Amino acid sequence: MEHRARLHLLVAAVVVVAASLSASARVLMTQDQALASAFPNAKPSRQTFFLTKQQLDAARKESGVELNEQLVIRYAGPNGFAYFDTHRVRTLPETVMIVVTPDGRIDRVEILSFDEPTDYFPKRRWLDQLLHRKLDDDLSLKRAIRPISGASLSGQAIVNATRKVLALHHVIR
Amino acid sequence: MFKRITVALATMLIASSTFAQSTEAVEQRLKALQDKVAAIDELKQEIDVLTKEIETLKSSATEKTASEPGVTFGGYGEFRYNNPEHGDPTADMLRGVLYAGYKFSPRVHFNSELEVEHASTEHSGSVSLEFAQLDYLVRPELNVRAGIVLMPVGIINEQHEPTTYLASRRPLVEDVIIPTTWSEIGGGVFGDIGRFSYRTYVTTGMDSSRFESEEGIHEGKQSGSEAGAKDLAVVARADWHPFEGTIFGGSIYNGGSGQGAGFKGRVRLAELHADSKFNGVSLRALVARGSVGDAALINERNGLVGNESIGKTFGGWYTEAGYDVLKDGGMSLTPYMRYESLDTQRSVPLGFERNPENNRRIWTFGMAFKPISQTVVKIDWEKARRNDQWNIALGYIF
Repeated sequence: MEHRARLHLLVAAVVVVAASLSASARVLMTQDQALASAFPNAKPSRQTFFLTKQQLDAARKESGVELNEQLVIRYAGPNGFAYFDTHRVRTLPETVMIVVTPDGRIDRVEILSFDEPTDYFPKRRWLDQLLHRKLDDDLSLKRAIRPISGASLSGQAIVNATRKVLALHHVIR
Repeated sequence: MFKRITVALATMLIASSTFAQSTEAVEQRLKALQDKVAAIDELKQEIDVLTKEIETLKSSATEKTASEPGVTFGGYGEFRYNNPEHGDPTADMLRGVLYAGYKFSPRVHFNSELEVEHASTEHSGSVSLEFAQLDYLVRPELNVRAGIVLMPVGIINEQHEPTTYLASRRPLVEDVIIPTTWSEIGGGVFGDIGRFSYRTYVTTGMDSSRFESEEGIHEGKQSGSEAGAKDLAVVARADWHPFEGTIFGGSIYNGGSGQGAGFKGRVRLAELHADSKFNGVSLRALVARGSVGDAALINERNGLVGNESIGKTFGGWYTEAGYDVLKDGGMSLTPYMRYESLDTQRSVPLGFERNPENNRRIWTFGMAFKPISQTVVKIDWEKARRNDQWNIALGYIF
């Protein structure tokens, strides 16, 4: 009985605390919002590229990841280029925006949509490891990028996306 | 003279005829070119339309939010072949697990795992809900969880997919000292505060009627199956993430296990853990200590005498290390080693004896190969005090 009363008290306390906190669920972005955050006070121009077979092969080789898209769309802003990539994490898709500087380094990574359970969602501090990286061997979970504890597939998916985008950026610039 | 004029006129006629013919040819070629240009323009328009369509598709994908309602699905499993020095080899599908989740709303999520152990219930297998929990996401620092929850104790209990640990067997310390996979009905709060994360729940306690000497408290977990709820427990965990890929943390558990037997049977368990992965290196260590109150009364109720006594105190530790020698590409090949030391009877109640067999030291040496990050083959050799063993394991996660 004593335990039951204690449990009721605890549950009530949790509900009161939860209710008193303001709502601030994880905010994800639309493509327009992401572009606005990457290029504030600027209207990025959309650029479309059709890769030749040679360019596609070169991008595959440079990135080391599977790549089949011959159509590349990017948004050119004052200080870089924004690419969007949708890929599978575990069984469900994720969309990220990767902003690349003109000299081919990662300037920003934003997750726009993430359908896997929230436990696997990469934290901002993990994403920050990718900043200023260029396409080289160090851009790997086995080298300079530390894996996400308990969510290695989420980390691998984003590292692969950054490698892919940097390789595409290199072959079309 | 007439002849010359005739020749000149004939030449002019031929020339004008040739000119007319070449003009006609040029006009025809011009027409063909115009047609081709028109076809190219048409093609360009089609490409533009297709481009817009693709872009629209991509945009609509990006406009989804992570919190939209929807089903999530996954799974993992592992097969193992054991060949002990003393005894017959065995092969088993240890577990096949199907994960299912549903996002009811941006804030309310359900997650569950349905596990089939040992392939078939016609033999020694079982089917169980490993966890089934509802999360109410308030803010990163504070969220609410309830249901059959995984106890946040140790490393393996919450992260037990075969691709996440090194050897073919889970550490024995995280089996009989921490009774993995340990779930109970209850609820509480969890969240992240800066580089710290925490979870704390109130749950059903254990059931001491299934405690014994060799397996310790392992069988006392109730797993949400018609669980006794007379004795409850409190569990709390905190982890520090000093940098990415590295965790230092600990947890404490305190709860009754009598469940109406006339005594409390208080179980206390505490552990500290560290886990780090960097540059292809994997390091992990854990130490755990526990105690059971009313151990003599539990022995009496469970009919345990002499050195069959449950441990009044118990504990163990392990450390393991591995290094991925394939540093480039998607494949990995990781030689590893683990050492563990544990005793389910560090002390026993007065009038009972310890069984030295329950004081175990195990070395494991092996190799894990991942052709892709979601599948693994492991082969290792365990050296225990009295029985060495070869293991081969196959694991997957999706």
